[in-house]
Amino acid sequence: MSEPLNKNSKQPGEEPRVKLPEAQPRGYFEGESMTRRHVFTVASQAIGGVAAAAVVLPVVGFAVAPLFSRGEERWEAVGPVEDFNAEDYKQVVFTEITGIGEAGKTTAYIRKGSPEYDEDPNEFIAVSTRCAHLGCPVRFVQAAQNFICPCHGGVYDFLGKRIGGPPVRPLDRFQTRVRNGQVELGPRYSVTNQLKAVRVRDPGEFTGGIWEYLYPPRPSTFPPPSN
Amino acid sequence: MKLLPSRKKQSEADGSENGTDEAVAKPKRTAQAKQLATHHGTQAGIDVAGWVDSRTNASGIFTAMMSRHVPKGTNWFYTLGSATMFIFAMQAITGVFLSMYYTPSATQAYASITHMTNEVFMGEFVRGLHKWGASLMIILIFLHMARTFFFGAYKYPRELNWVIGVVLLILTTVMGLTGYLLPFDQRSFWATIVANNITASGPIVGPYLADFLRAGPDFSATTLSRFYALHMMVVPGLIAALIGAHLFLVVKLGTTAPPWIRAPRPKGARPTEVVPAGVAVEDNEEVPVNGAVAVSDESGASVEEAEANEAEAEAVEAETSEPTGDVVAPAEAADESAAPEADVPQAEADADPDAQGDAATDDSGDGEVNS
Repeated sequence: MSEPLNKNSKQPGEEPRVKLPEAQPRGYFEGESMTRRHVFTVASQAIGGVAAAAVVLPVVGFAVAPLFSRGEERWEAVGPVEDFNAEDYKQVVFTEITGIGEAGKTTAYIRKGSPEYDEDPNEFIAVSTRCAHLGCPVRFVQAAQNFICPCHGGVYDFLGKRIGGPPVRPLDRFQTRVRNGQVELGPRYSVTNQLKAVRVRDPGEFTGGIWEYLYPPRPSTFPPPSN
Repeated sequence: MKLLPSRKKQSEADGSENGTDEAVAKPKRTAQAKQLATHHGTQAGIDVAGWVDSRTNASGIFTAMMSRHVPKGTNWFYTLGSATMFIFAMQAITGVFLSMYYTPSATQAYASITHMTNEVFMGEFVRGLHKWGASLMIILIFLHMARTFFFGAYKYPRELNWVIGVVLLILTTVMGLTGYLLPFDQRSFWATIVANNITASGPIVGPYLADFLRAGPDFSATTLSRFYALHMMVVPGLIAALIGAHLFLVVKLGTTAPPWIRAPRPKGARPTEVVPAGVAVEDNEEVPVNGAVAVSDESGASVEEAEANEAEAEAVEAETSEPTGDVVAPAEAADESAAPEADVPQAEADADPDAQGDAATDDSGDGEVNS
C-alpha cells in the first residue's frame, strides 16, 4: 500500500484514501504543546525570510548607494586672471561631469567681483547657465544686460537674480579660486534671493526660508562655500 | 476526484474507472504490434499533446480562457485591451532584438543607434516598430481605459482590475520615460534632464528620488545604465506580471455588457415580493433609487452580477453547465427572443435578471449562487 498523497487534503468531497488513526486532539501528539506543523511552518518561513533578506538588502543598498556617496571635488582652470573684468561677463566652457563626453560639458559666465555689488574685488564670480526653472541653458544678452532662457522665458538680471518668468530662484554659481595665475572653477552651489550661498539644488527647487527644510540637503552634494 | 492518468496497461486493467480519459483510451481489439505502429506513425504527436495535457490540464485552462461566455452586445471596443497587450508583446520582442545592437554607454549609445538604424539590415524598420509602438501603446491604453470608464466596467466586482490597470498605465509611462533617454541624442538628454528636475522639485522626497533615478547629484554616466536596466528588466517584468493578474481577473469575473444593453423582463415575471429600498412598488420602472440612480441602473447591476456568477461558475466547472440548466429553463420559455442552446447561460443571465439578482442579493453576490 502506497502512501496517500492527499491524506491531509481539505478539498470538499475529497475523502482520504487511507484513514490513519488521528491524534487527539487533532494535530497534537502526546506531550506536545505546539503542533509540529506549526513549528515547521514558523521555522521554514523564518529561514526563508532570512534568505530573502540576504539577497534583497544588498541589492537595494547597491541601487541606492549613489544617494550617499559624494564624488571627488573637481577644479578646472578656465583662463588667466587678466581675462576677466568686473564690468562684463566672459563665457567659458568646462567639463562639469566626467565620463559622459560632450554631455558633461557646461557653460559658465565669469567676471571679477565688484565693490558696487558688495563683492570682494579679489574674488571671481562664476554664474552657471543652468536655468533655475527646468535646467535649460540660459545665455547672457549684452544689450539687455540680462540672462535669458530660451525655453520658457525666464529672465535674470546682471547678478543672476530672477526678474521675470517661471524660475524659482537666482542662477546657480560655481566656487572659484586662483591657482598659478589661473581662475579655477569648482563645485556648483545654489544661492538664495539674497545671494547667500546654500547647498546645490536641482532646478525648480526654491532656496532659503522654509524651503531649506522642504528640500533637505542631499549627502551626495558638496557643502556651500562659507559666506 | 482527479487522478493522474495511469499508463495504458493499468487503464485497461481497471478500465471502468479511467475509461473516460480520452488521452490514453485505445480500442482493446487492436493487436499490440499494430497499436505500436499506429502509435509511432500517426498518434505520436497527439499522444505528446495528450501526455502534457493530462498532466497540466492545459486544454481545460485554455478552454476556460478562450471559450468563456461574454455578454450580449460585446463589440469591437472590447478588443482594445487585447490590442494593448499585442503592442506590449511587439515592444518586448523588438526590444530584445534592438538590445543586440545597442550599447548602453554614454559615449557609444548614440553611435550604436545610428549604426543600427542606418546600416543594419531592417534596422530602421525594427527600431521604427519599437519607437512608434511606444506611442501606440499609450494611445491604446487610454482608449481601453475610456471604454472601461464609459461602459461602467470598473464597478463592483472589478474595481481591483481598474486599480491594476492604472498601475499598468503608470508603468507604461515609466517605460516611455526610461526608453526616451536611450538614443542619447540632444532631445532625449534634455528631456531626461527636465523629467529629473520635475521629479526633484517634489518636497522632501523629491531630491532623493531624483538622486536615485540618475544615480547621483547630477546626470552622469551611471544614469544611462540605470535607465537601461529599468527599461529592459525591471519595468517589463512588473508589467508582464501585472498583465497576468489583469487577465486572471478578467477571466474570473467575466466582462460587462455595454450600458445600452437592457435586460428584457420576462412576461408575467415582474417581481412583487422583493423591492429595492426607496422604490415605489406600483411603478418601479420610473422611480429613482436613492433619488439619483435610475431603476435601469439597478437592473443593469443585476445583469453584471449574474454574469459575474456565470463566469465564476464557468471557471470552476469548465466542462459542464448542468447545474445552471434548471435555472435556465423557465427563463427560456418566458422570453421569446431567447438565444439557442449555444447561448443558453447567457440567455438566462439576460432574460432573468430578477431571479439572478435576487439570488445574488441573498448571497451578497459572492458568486456561489450557481455552484
